[in-house]
Amino acid sequence: MTVKNTTVIDVKHVFKTYFMDGGNSQQVLKDINFQVKSGEFVAIMGPSGSGKSTLMNILGCLDKPTSGTYILDGQDISAKTDMELAKVRGQTIGFVFQNFNLMMKRTIADNVSLPLIYQNIEEKERYKRAVKMLERVNLQGYQDRLPSQISGGMQQRVAIARALINNPAIIFADEPTGNLDSKTSDEIMDLFTDLNKQGITIVLVTHEDDVADFATRMIKISDGHKVYDGLRKEYSKEKETKC
Amino acid sequence: MLKAILKEAWISIAAYKLRTFLTMLGIMIGVAAVVMMVSAGQAVQTKITQTFASMGSNLIIIGPAEIVSGGVRGGRGLPSVTVADTEALKNLKDVDATSYIMPAAVQAVYGSSNYGVSVRGTNPEFLEINNWEIEEGVMFTDKDVKAAKPYAVIGQTVVDELFGLQNPIGKTLRLKGKPFMVIGTLKEKGDGLMGDDQDNVILMPWTTVRQRLEGSERPQFTNIAFVKASTEEKMESVAKRVEYMLRTRHRLKEGVKNDFTIRLMTEMVEKVRSVGFILSALLAAIASISLVVGSIGIMNMMLVSVTERTREIGTRKALGAPNNWIMTQFLAESILISFIGSFIGMIFGVIFSQIGGMALGYEVPISIWSVIVSVTVAVVVGIVSGLMPALKAMRLNPIDALRYQ
Repeated sequence: MTVKNTTVIDVKHVFKTYFMDGGNSQQVLKDINFQVKSGEFVAIMGPSGSGKSTLMNILGCLDKPTSGTYILDGQDISAKTDMELAKVRGQTIGFVFQNFNLMMKRTIADNVSLPLIYQNIEEKERYKRAVKMLERVNLQGYQDRLPSQISGGMQQRVAIARALINNPAIIFADEPTGNLDSKTSDEIMDLFTDLNKQGITIVLVTHEDDVADFATRMIKISDGHKVYDGLRKEYSKEKETKC
Repeated sequence: MLKAILKEAWISIAAYKLRTFLTMLGIMIGVAAVVMMVSAGQAVQTKITQTFASMGSNLIIIGPAEIVSGGVRGGRGLPSVTVADTEALKNLKDVDATSYIMPAAVQAVYGSSNYGVSVRGTNPEFLEINNWEIEEGVMFTDKDVKAAKPYAVIGQTVVDELFGLQNPIGKTLRLKGKPFMVIGTLKEKGDGLMGDDQDNVILMPWTTVRQRLEGSERPQFTNIAFVKASTEEKMESVAKRVEYMLRTRHRLKEGVKNDFTIRLMTEMVEKVRSVGFILSALLAAIASISLVVGSIGIMNMMLVSVTERTREIGTRKALGAPNNWIMTQFLAESILISFIGSFIGMIFGVIFSQIGGMALGYEVPISIWSVIVSVTVAVVVGIVSGLMPALKAMRLNPIDALRYQ
């Protein structure tokens, strides 16, 4: 793994507050600050309800912070319109979801190349790139099958190929092994490690320690605060502070 | 981009074949019904136009006055136009010919066959006035009228019913026990507007009718008289001259009502045509109710589809689909469904109306209107019924949509 000095993610004083009906409000993220450099492999951890999913949604440009700034790959996300956010998601980000989110009635090639449709890329070119991307996740020859014909681990590899097809600056993986058994989980995490070694920046949300162990850096969120930010192997419960 | 959207839309609706087909069925039936009803209306209008054209459209028809007593209109008065009147009208400017009818309904007998026929006493110009033609033999002449010759010119139905395969020319048939010689036959005219048989007719000199078949206390009076104007444009002015001349000849003082009525064939054609048009519009309106139902079917299916595919929509959005892309895709799906449905419906509508026309003996025109109507309907129905579901899909929040189970 080679960490370069380019900053991919720069989060400054990010707050997120949800306003409920009836005037109540709930502060989910409180003054979050951190940076992620190109080539890093970061695990975001925290118990459920800690705010890690909200943080992930903001990082993935699916949601905007209530205050603070978020700069992704040099672009100020906090100031963008919905239309521009869709463009950023399509061009800068690769998503991997817990439940894969594949279209079950479409071929694997169609699934892998889906993000390219929104970049106005021709059908033949999309197919060509999908085949190439499937080779990268060790699924060569599967392009014309349906997702229902392959195992869960393979389906997640299809989803990873889909996340890679736009050459994104960063991959966000939200509990990518949550629906897989431990052996397949390890295979998927090995694939992420390989990709990271090839220089791809990965941010992973998980609550499982063995999954987090594949990452080099760990950020822990608790009750909306960042309580740990450092090397995964140096983490211990005692080092948690409100930083 | 549009090509890619259409392809995505097509794949999506093709993935649910039965559901898509059933939804299309609603639109298919609706459009087929509209096309069939419009065709039926047009067939009736075509028939009306043809019938009037065969009667000659430059005609001015003069009949007895209407009887009005105490504000109540009831029936017709006595005939008031004489043969001499119509002879005089012939000299008016822009008048080509005049004719008249003195009718009689009698039983015609030849050998052992007999048949009820409609006899019309008239003059030789009757043929020109009504666009009738001689098939075989000759028409009687003015001389024959003067001499009240017992000549008969018979229609094709009379030929078939009385003579069968024999040549009727020169044969003698009997009406009310009196002999009449067949000197000519008329070309086939087909059914009239009310389904009456225009070929069940015998023409003869009016003098002959009066002397031998239907005597009258006022033998010179015609039941109905015709004036043929030289062109359609001249009809109005000719009608005015006819009215003036008849009033003069009948010595009607100013303020006295006409003792006759004048009708223009063009006016009657227009009246009947407008009735036909209203009829077909009404039929189409009733048929379009099924289109509304079909359109509701599409909207229903699209709403279900959006709900079912919430996760897919969320994924597409997370992977970079702009909102308008999502909206256009769902709109394209509903337009595709209604477009294909309308197209198939139009084809079935045309086929069925042709079959129906053949069965009923009507000529059914294949009109450009059915194409225009069905394409317009397809696009309008597609947009109207797809808009709400498409907006619903567009407004889905990707975070919620991804979490949707």
